[in-house]
Amino acid sequence: MFPYYLRLALASFRRNPGLTALMVFAIALGISVCMITLTSYRAAAHNPAGERGKILFAASIDSWDPDEPYDDENKALAPTLLTYNDAKALYASNIPDRKVMMYKGGGILSRGDKGMEPEYVSTRMTNADFFPMFDVPFLYGGPWDAKADAGPDPVMILSKETNQKAFGGENSVGRTVRWQDREFRVIGVLDEWTPAPKYFDVSNGSFNDNEGAYVPVAWGPILEMGSHGNTNCWKTESINSFQDFMNSECVWLADWFEIRSAEKQRAFREFLDSYVTEQKARGRFPRPLNNYLYDVDGWLERNKVVDDDNKAMLLLAFAFLAVCLVNTVGLLLAKFLNAAPTAGVRRALGASRMDIFWQHLTESGIVALAGGIVGGLLGWIGVWAMRAWYARFLDNPLNFIPFDAMNFVIVVAIAVLAGIVAGLYPAWRIGRAAPASYLKVQ
Amino acid sequence: MQVTDIRPILSALTRNRAGAILVALQIAITLAIIVNAIYLTQQRVSKVGRPSGIDDQNIFSFTVEGFEKDFDFVNMVREDMALLRQMPGVIDAAPIHQVPLSGSGSSSGYYSLPDKKGKDSPAAYYRTDEHGVTALGTKLSEGTTFDPSTVEWKAKEEQGQPPSAIVSAGFAEALFPGEKNLVGKNFYDAQSKPIRIVGVIEHMHGSWVGWDKVDRLMLIPRVSEYTRYIVRTQPGELDRVMKETESALRKRDPNRVVGKLQKMSDDRQRSYSGDMMLAFTLTVVTGLVVIFSSLGIFGLATFNVNNRTRQIGTRRAVGARKIDIVQYFLAENWVVTTIGVLLGCGLALAAGYWLSTQYQLPRLDLYYLVGGVLGLWALGQLAAWQPALRAAKVSPAMATRNI
Repeated sequence: MFPYYLRLALASFRRNPGLTALMVFAIALGISVCMITLTSYRAAAHNPAGERGKILFAASIDSWDPDEPYDDENKALAPTLLTYNDAKALYASNIPDRKVMMYKGGGILSRGDKGMEPEYVSTRMTNADFFPMFDVPFLYGGPWDAKADAGPDPVMILSKETNQKAFGGENSVGRTVRWQDREFRVIGVLDEWTPAPKYFDVSNGSFNDNEGAYVPVAWGPILEMGSHGNTNCWKTESINSFQDFMNSECVWLADWFEIRSAEKQRAFREFLDSYVTEQKARGRFPRPLNNYLYDVDGWLERNKVVDDDNKAMLLLAFAFLAVCLVNTVGLLLAKFLNAAPTAGVRRALGASRMDIFWQHLTESGIVALAGGIVGGLLGWIGVWAMRAWYARFLDNPLNFIPFDAMNFVIVVAIAVLAGIVAGLYPAWRIGRAAPASYLKVQ
Repeated sequence: MQVTDIRPILSALTRNRAGAILVALQIAITLAIIVNAIYLTQQRVSKVGRPSGIDDQNIFSFTVEGFEKDFDFVNMVREDMALLRQMPGVIDAAPIHQVPLSGSGSSSGYYSLPDKKGKDSPAAYYRTDEHGVTALGTKLSEGTTFDPSTVEWKAKEEQGQPPSAIVSAGFAEALFPGEKNLVGKNFYDAQSKPIRIVGVIEHMHGSWVGWDKVDRLMLIPRVSEYTRYIVRTQPGELDRVMKETESALRKRDPNRVVGKLQKMSDDRQRSYSGDMMLAFTLTVVTGLVVIFSSLGIFGLATFNVNNRTRQIGTRRAVGARKIDIVQYFLAENWVVTTIGVLLGCGLALAAGYWLSTQYQLPRLDLYYLVGGVLGLWALGQLAAWQPALRAAKVSPAMATRNI
């Protein structure tokens, strides 16, 4: 019967092209606004770690001010970064399967042979486990090993972009660069890698670019290099040297752990509590025991990567879609009732109520599908315009507002579903109409 | 309108219940959307448009870093500044360790009395020299800029505070509410070290535009490692000066890295981009939703008129005037709109309340609701106007005809 209903629907569209266009347009506008807001919402709510996000954990312990919580709005939350000594102590645990201790540094990168324009590169100070833990893809070479962490060896891994600037993109493994006034040996070059949001470090913006180089974190104290990202302090301490800074209550590092079994995860939580309790005995950690082990989803939520504006806009977009749909229900009802005499004739000739119902539901389904596709395309144009606007002052709008084909599929599906829901009542109503009354008037 | 007019309207409405309910529902959601959207938009627009107190359209900033082992930081900054300040089109230039409106900055807590006593307030601070005030284009309401001899030039970054500061009026007001003649007064850092106020900036915004204390800040007389440069130009000269700056600096000393030149107007736009995007989206959606609601009302009225030509003809035949017919349809529309608006008030308040609790957005102002209700009533009457006039043109003869 379906092809017949399709033919009937097309005939009906031809009868009222203006009204049909209006319905398609209403759905299309509602859907396009949804698509635009959905795109930035989904980009922010995206978990780039996928399944592995469930076994990767960031530790957060409350080393903050006894008089004032770290977060005024939720007093039980702990700082998102760690002090140097805490980061080191947690890193020393043998419970996790893999672990990193890291922060964002930076320095001027140059070549001894003057083969490049010296340039500042932001640099991730980290450990060997960073690369397998966060699934970092390599173009040339590979990560350093635990021995290089301990040394620390003067080894460096370059991002694809930095390698392009320093060596014109060729395989630079084994070459040397100057960084922080020392020679470093390139042992690896990364392939394109832009997890968005940058979940392992959201402290300087969730969609910031990755660092241009990677160096063993043990170089930090040797080079006396503090964080080039965020450093937060609460305590009045006299800090006269880098050593003082490392021993201070300032937080500036992050620890991540890969812990695969539930049993080990429990053990590690216990370890966090016992560590803090032990430190309390020494007069540190004056606040209540607020320890957290966040998996990737929990971490993104803790850091409010999806911000309130994102949620409010999504809510608004769907409220707008609701108005468009209510409008469409009204238009469909008017259109169907207008054509009621035709339905009356069909009923009189033997079509059942169900036949009439399905025929009209098919018609609204087609309107919705057309509206969804047009709306998806309009939405695509909107996303494109939004990116063009952001591109004027953001380096990487693509991370922030990606072109995601999935969004298109989602909104078209929403449109069809919504269109069918919208068509239910008018189709039922027209199916219920008694044929005799229409035949009489004609 | 007479009260008796309502009864036939209500009974007619029950005949096309579904249509009337749909339009009322649409009006309800529309009211909830537009009231909240206009309220939010209005707040964001005034936030984006507020003055920063800085000449932000004519300033650019950048970093300069030496990379040779034994480069002389203090000398580099002094010579760069001498060069920049004499460039044609430049009003003034200064080293400053963080750029206001950029989103990155430093802040600390301060007190009006020693030992963390008295009033306390956080403030963003900016390490700069005696040219900072003019290079930012801010106005002093009191006092003067730093005495050049009090500016501390340090190669390495140091903890602790210089003993003097130029504070913003917002910060001064937080520490010393209501007081005038602040120059010469001391306030204290967490270590109870006194800091003397040498000048007060009339109004200025700091680094984080989303912070409710964005106007609490101070300039402190120190220049140390990892500074940035800001350059303020004559109006219209920004692009030209930017073009010449990089090569002039490189020419003076090629052994350092000049970072990307950044317009402060771009920093400002980036900092407010979320607000601008939200305001824009809300405005577009509000416009669309109003159009759709009008179409819905128009559609229902037209449908009703078409369906009742015979009834209208009969009324006309038994003596109803044209104006009665118009009034009848407008009144019918008014009833539907009113039902929708009443429903919408509840919905709008619920949505506003939910937004304010869930997302720390301010509570909906009731004036907006009143405005929205009046607006939708007017919109409803306007949208029904044309169908009502068409109804009035139905001839009394229709009463005798079949459709």
